[in-house]
Amino acid sequence: MAHQWGMAIDLDRCNGCEACVVACHAENNISTVGEEQAALSRAKHWIRVERYYEGEFPDVRVKFTPVLCQQCDAAPCEPVCPTFASYHTSEGLNGQVYNRCIGTRYCANACPYVVRYFNFYNPIWEKPLQLQLNPDVSVREEGVMEKCTFCVQRIKAREIQAAAEKRELRDGEIQPACVQSCPTRAMVFGDLGDPESEVSRLARSSRATKLLGELGTRPKVNYLPRDSWHDSENA
Amino acid sequence: MERRDFLKISAVAGATAALEGCGNPDHQLIRFVPEEDLIPGIATWKPSICTLCPAGCGLLVRVMAGEAEVVRNGQLGLLKMGLAKKLEGNPAHPINQGKLCPRGQAGLQVTYHPDRIKGPLVRTGRRGSGQFREVGWDEATKQLVQKLSELKASKQEGGLAFVTAPLRGQRKTIIDTFVASFKGLTSIEFAFFDDSVIRAANAASFGHALPPTVDIGTSNYVISFGADFLGTWNSPVAQSLGFGHMRKGRPGQRGKFVQFEQRISQTGASADEWIPVEPGAEGMLALSLAHVIIAENKQLATAAGHAGSLIEGWSLGLPDYAPEKVAAQVGVKPETIARIAREAAAQDPAVALIGDAAVAHTNGLFNALAVNALSALLGSVGKPGGILFASGSSAKPPAASLQSWASEVSSGATAVDVLLLYNANPVFAAPAEWGVQRALEKVPFIASFGSFIDETSALADLILPDHSPLESWLEDTPVSGSAKTVVSVAPPAMNPLHNTRAMADVLLDAAHQLGGDFAKTLPWKTYEEAIQASFAALYKEKGSKTAKDADEFWKKAQEQGGWWSTEPSQVAAVISAGTAVKNSAPQFSGDSSQYPYHFLPFASQLLYDGSLAHLPWMQEVPDPLSTAMWGTWVEINPRTAEKLMIQQGDLVEVVSPNGKLRAPALVSPGIAPDVIAMPVGQGHQNFTRYATGRGANPISILAPANVEGTGSLAWAATRVKLSRVGRGKLILFGGSLSESSPELKHR
Amino acid sequence: MTAKTPEQITNDLLRPLSGISARYVFWAALLAGIAVAALCAFLYQVYSGLGVSGLRSPVFWGFYITNFVFWIGLSHAGTLISAILRLANATWRRPVTRCAEVITVFALSIGATFPIIHLGRPWLAFFLFPYPSERGLWPNIRSPLLWDFFAINTYLISSVTFLLLPMVPDFALVRDRAAGWKKKIYSALALGWTGTPKQWHRLETAMHIMAIAVIPVAVSVHSIVSWDFAMAPVPMWHSTIFAPYFVAGAIFSGIAALILAMALLRKLLHLEEYLLPIHFENLGKLLLVMSLLWFYFVFAERLTTWYGNEPSEMAVFWVTQHGSYAPLFWAMVSCNFLIPFPLLAIKKLRTITGTAIASFTVVIGMWLERFLIIVPSLSHKYLPYRWGTYRPTWVEITITAGTFCTMVLLYMIFSKIVPVISVWELKAGRHEEPHALRLARQPDQVEAD
Repeated sequence: MAHQWGMAIDLDRCNGCEACVVACHAENNISTVGEEQAALSRAKHWIRVERYYEGEFPDVRVKFTPVLCQQCDAAPCEPVCPTFASYHTSEGLNGQVYNRCIGTRYCANACPYVVRYFNFYNPIWEKPLQLQLNPDVSVREEGVMEKCTFCVQRIKAREIQAAAEKRELRDGEIQPACVQSCPTRAMVFGDLGDPESEVSRLARSSRATKLLGELGTRPKVNYLPRDSWHDSENA
Repeated sequence: MERRDFLKISAVAGATAALEGCGNPDHQLIRFVPEEDLIPGIATWKPSICTLCPAGCGLLVRVMAGEAEVVRNGQLGLLKMGLAKKLEGNPAHPINQGKLCPRGQAGLQVTYHPDRIKGPLVRTGRRGSGQFREVGWDEATKQLVQKLSELKASKQEGGLAFVTAPLRGQRKTIIDTFVASFKGLTSIEFAFFDDSVIRAANAASFGHALPPTVDIGTSNYVISFGADFLGTWNSPVAQSLGFGHMRKGRPGQRGKFVQFEQRISQTGASADEWIPVEPGAEGMLALSLAHVIIAENKQLATAAGHAGSLIEGWSLGLPDYAPEKVAAQVGVKPETIARIAREAAAQDPAVALIGDAAVAHTNGLFNALAVNALSALLGSVGKPGGILFASGSSAKPPAASLQSWASEVSSGATAVDVLLLYNANPVFAAPAEWGVQRALEKVPFIASFGSFIDETSALADLILPDHSPLESWLEDTPVSGSAKTVVSVAPPAMNPLHNTRAMADVLLDAAHQLGGDFAKTLPWKTYEEAIQASFAALYKEKGSKTAKDADEFWKKAQEQGGWWSTEPSQVAAVISAGTAVKNSAPQFSGDSSQYPYHFLPFASQLLYDGSLAHLPWMQEVPDPLSTAMWGTWVEINPRTAEKLMIQQGDLVEVVSPNGKLRAPALVSPGIAPDVIAMPVGQGHQNFTRYATGRGANPISILAPANVEGTGSLAWAATRVKLSRVGRGKLILFGGSLSESSPELKHR
Repeated sequence: MTAKTPEQITNDLLRPLSGISARYVFWAALLAGIAVAALCAFLYQVYSGLGVSGLRSPVFWGFYITNFVFWIGLSHAGTLISAILRLANATWRRPVTRCAEVITVFALSIGATFPIIHLGRPWLAFFLFPYPSERGLWPNIRSPLLWDFFAINTYLISSVTFLLLPMVPDFALVRDRAAGWKKKIYSALALGWTGTPKQWHRLETAMHIMAIAVIPVAVSVHSIVSWDFAMAPVPMWHSTIFAPYFVAGAIFSGIAALILAMALLRKLLHLEEYLLPIHFENLGKLLLVMSLLWFYFVFAERLTTWYGNEPSEMAVFWVTQHGSYAPLFWAMVSCNFLIPFPLLAIKKLRTITGTAIASFTVVIGMWLERFLIIVPSLSHKYLPYRWGTYRPTWVEITITAGTFCTMVLLYMIFSKIVPVISVWELKAGRHEEPHALRLARQPDQVEAD
């Protein structure tokens, strides 16, 4: 059976450090837009850590939720793209084909998670910052939509490697950049189609929820909300 | 967009200029012969060490072939070379075990920064004018050696000063030896966020002049007094690993985490209970918790051992610290104090730690000693789940204080002929009142080894640019983060892009040229040799199960990224008798009627202490709590803002008895009404295109107060007043403070 | 008013085609200047990137799509009115039909440029066209944007046909009076029309078929445009009311545009004796009905939303009603209902001036309505952390202004080429029975026209 890639994020571990955000920038050639463009809400953080305050001083609580493309199985961004630039792959990913994108931005409007980012200008890397660019990932030009791909370049590289070595992929062998860097090990990536995988086990937890699941998008990221001291159960 | 690649088949200088096409100047560049044998598209992973904060995490660097525009022998051309593409944590390294914090990930941008100094520079214009001319290394080193030999000949004591960041390992040895030979002080170490108060407290309480290694992962109850241990304090990645494990790594067990501070930090945001405490009252609170534990017979007072005996009244059970007696001063309800104490005492292991602002008050040392005593009482010192001490590093000799040095030099009490700078920016990061800039003006010759022009290196007469860390030999002995003995080492992950030289190599070269007793004290020709020598000594001391001789040991260590013991090991404590300290209340600069608010600078998760403000990723990634990008802010409680008629984004003026600054206001519920907080890191006046002229620097208005009993700056001891002066500019990534819409309140 | 002879009618209605006044040249130059500025702004945007607009995350559609929906909506003036009135045989329609059909064609053409203008990579707009490509892909038929592509093209072709068909006899009229190069052009346009009964019969049949066919096309076009929004899970977009709401709104704005155009033409081309108060009276009544219908749709939708109290929808609801978009919202309600209602409902106020003022406010109000459908919803989606704002830049404002100027300019040019009132239809209306029938009955007693 084809792999069905998914993730589990344990919000009881996540402390909002944003290592995932920077790791993603570095891995996926995301350009910095600069102060002026950031002020126009055009910064491209494929994964972001949403921060919500609750309550008033002194009873204040803070919630952190890393939000990235949920690779929805019923993705609202897919039917609306007129050129099939947004499409569903056989491994359950929402693929974004930069070459087909003509920039109608309908997908970005349709996405309830606001995880799609648009290149309002051609990306700029002031020399020699461009030497850091990852050769395994395209650089997107102006007018093209981009978003988290679950580091599909890493998935493909490992699949090719495993095929060359005539073996199955091991659970945990593929780690997107965010998962790899997370200091609290809050993020787990794996094959939701394999019931024995760590991500499947976490998805079956009674704590597991989906972000905006009620919209019927069937997202593949399972969130395990923050626990409390007395009510904790075996994760 | 431009398909330059298929143009790059020609390789002859000048002839390529004849090629028509997009007019891209690239194909007019010559190609240098590659120095490395690389297969394009295939990555190699090389170990390295992160140097962006004191934790010393181990890295793996993904190196791939690429083409860089470089200058060789004065000629610009293209060179195919191995380029660092991505940094990951080294899974084998005991400190970070394969994980990496956001700052560590950004280390790549140091190497490839557009404003890196590309070669030695000699000042031409007035000092500070920014006018330099490029020179070769021969000339630059000659100038340095000349000044030093003049100094040596004059036999003046203290004529050489070396201001650096806190350093470890052979780099420190080389620098200290160098300075000592000029009969100077030891090198002067300076960093805004340093751990000297904690070290002093740990030395007194536990006999280890080291920051603690907190085994959070095995703990069941963690009380943190102000320490941002998941973000910026001490060894954040190691502590985060532990935190994740404490929370959900042990099926059926989940530790509780309580944070006491004035402003919700990124760490405090993850607390099970976040409890505000009055500034400077952390020690009193810790002792109140201890009182409850002793009074309710959960532990005997003597269980705290020597650490407890350092607190006056400890053996009597701290009668003055009963919760009802201290509740008002501490700002925490007596029931809460009692409950937390009971909970902590009932959990085993339970641990308490302290850091950041709590040890940056005038009574910071007292606070630290009190928390140490509490930890000792809870019984977890030296045990899993509690406080351990790294075994690789021995106690540091006391470093000279920049504050006293600057004051002596600017007053003329001390004459300094040569000042060397490395990894420190005190003109930015030290309070203006210390007069560092004035002191520098008195020094006739200043040389900087830094890679960037910043506020301090802009005043240099000679610049000898160091390699970036990824281009350097690196070694480190972390002082926290693992109970194992860890000695990291890494060869350069890539060849230098620019005409730079390793600082230690330049110093060793100068020592070699100066001759004299340097032949004995600094016998190595290169830094690499020096590190290898230290590893030979390590092999002799520790032996090895897998390497048969020192050479193999050295080779294996380089491949792995260092050497570490297989088991945790403890270093013997050196306890000296100390006198019991009594409670001291914190002192604040500025009269509370004139300056009603406590000013709380804090380390920025991305900019740290400002030393990373030049990295574009660090400017653009939103601050975790404020979500601010490319700017700074002043954090104000909503009630305070309302009282002062300040709205979100208004420009406010913050005035202390020592200075004033302006920044936009950020209204946040997560801060006490009488506290104003501001991140450290922006406000650079000269630090590359990305950081210059951006925001304001809270350090500039701090009072030069000291932590009693140490020479450290009490940076949380300043009081301020503030007022609205206009409209400011806040660039926030987050469009809402809370999940529920404010409009919904209509219903 | 004295009855006019057919000759007088022809003269009056063809007079505007000859001669260009200085005032005409001045206004044409001014409008053309702004239109050229808009074109330059667009080219600047293509060169630099969409960043020169005010679009951003999460408001990825702004002025351009507002204009798109607005102009497509406005285009429902002609064809629908003209077709419906023809089928209902409302005799007062005769001077109105061509004005209306022209609005449709021009508004549609302008509206159809906006999907290109708002693209991130407009040079690849041809990807929307179904052709066997080397990518091995046809466009995605599930995308409402593709439905837009087909619907608008169909509507454009139908409207052009619907406009050109009844123009043929008038082209013949001009041809017969013209000389030189003008005669050549109008001969070509007249398609050899000689006015035989057979030709008349064919023309009437063709127009009858088109009138019936164009109505479902027009209804489907704006339903499809509404589904650009309704098919996306965005708070207050995903509503079943959108299709009828948009069609009603389109007709509403179309009638208003028609009244405005007629009022202006009446003044500038001295057509006081052809565009009579009764026309404005009747169109005014239609506008009133549409205003009430518009109000009904808005009220029904907002009542349902408010009663349902779904949090994400309420965020958008309140931000338009009480929050940052409230000024625009209430301006829209005033322009679309509060001001027009008394002007159109009270007979004494339902004059040419009254209906013209009401129409003017309706055009503004309907533009605001498109804006308020798009932007507040996009700026307040499900995750509050990503709520945002939108502010247009000079590029979007210039292009918007340019399209309005282009519309007027095109109309001005049209009025110099073709009589804005269909000459033969007007005359046909003055006969007791349809001209064609008379011809059919007495072919040898045809009157020279």
